[in-house]
Amino acid sequence: MTTTTFPFAYATTDWPVLERMAEAHRRSWAMLAAPGEWWTGAQRVSIAAECRRASALVDGLPDPGPGPAALSEAALFAVHKLIGDLPNVTREWYDETISAEGMSDTHYIELLGVVVHIWSVDEFHRALDIELEPLPAPIPGEPTRIRPLGAKPHGSWPATIRPGDLGETEADIYGGAEYAANVRAAMSLHPDSVRWLSDLFDAHYLSWIEIGGEQEPFRVLTRPQRELVAARVSALNECFY
Amino acid sequence: MLRESSKRNGSLDSLNLQGAVGPEADSGVPHGDLLTAFAEAAVRRTDALPGLRERIAAELGVQELVDAAGVVANFQRMVRIADGCGIPLDELTRDATDDVRDELGLHEYASAANTA
Repeated sequence: MTTTTFPFAYATTDWPVLERMAEAHRRSWAMLAAPGEWWTGAQRVSIAAECRRASALVDGLPDPGPGPAALSEAALFAVHKLIGDLPNVTREWYDETISAEGMSDTHYIELLGVVVHIWSVDEFHRALDIELEPLPAPIPGEPTRIRPLGAKPHGSWPATIRPGDLGETEADIYGGAEYAANVRAAMSLHPDSVRWLSDLFDAHYLSWIEIGGEQEPFRVLTRPQRELVAARVSALNECFY
Repeated sequence: MLRESSKRNGSLDSLNLQGAVGPEADSGVPHGDLLTAFAEAAVRRTDALPGLRERIAAELGVQELVDAAGVVANFQRMVRIADGCGIPLDELTRDATDDVRDELGLHEYASAANTA
């Protein structure tokens, strides 16, 4: 099921979800529906649909069905691996995945960007027992297929862009910072995924002001309480980073 | 981040990092047991989740529950970015947290291999 409007009508739920959170989720759906750099809008919505299928499979729930466009076996497998088998995502698997037909490092990073952001919005809903938002109708158009020239190997599996190597079209992705932590730069091969990350990071967890130690008035848990939840989720996923 | 934020708000002395990685120890963070139980139930999809929602709403508040759900959602994303890209620890973090990672057994995780 897809839709062209994104209500995220939290006012009808039991929980006081802030409008700034709803707005961030609406922006996520708009980004999902649009053509990307390496996948069409229909393919991106299909990646999101597969994300929900993978989650349903793990949770033993009925199959919600595929999205509007066919995806390659490698793409389908990658989505399921990232959702249901994260501790076994290895360098060898990554190399094999990006070498498969119809895939590349840039395809993989954009796919990852779609998976993690849709998964995150859905996980917010699941945590609060809010019905999942229907996926958006894809926006027609072709991928731009622009690879950032400043992307280089820096220790992560995919190439990444350091702040000093940003080009004009992605100059904004680190907000002007001179340093980008590895996790922030991880998806910089697909700059829109970094923009998406920053947007939801701010909505779900911390703004840049808070990273500096301040507390936004709209957050009610203390910073140690937030970090404790963060640490437990990371540990449950066996994430070293 | 937990250690740093506890240092900033003056609660470092009562912090027990073992409480962050497993349910056996008390973290020393106010309502930490309830918040980590909620995180665990949400990630593991256990039957305890509805009851924990109700407890957090009653004992901390409904806005606190929404806040906690946001953090869970954020880190369900961040771990997949980190491990889906095989990123190594940032140098500063590695140097500052090596002892703690050892103490908590984090070097046993498969993704530790991404940091040389």
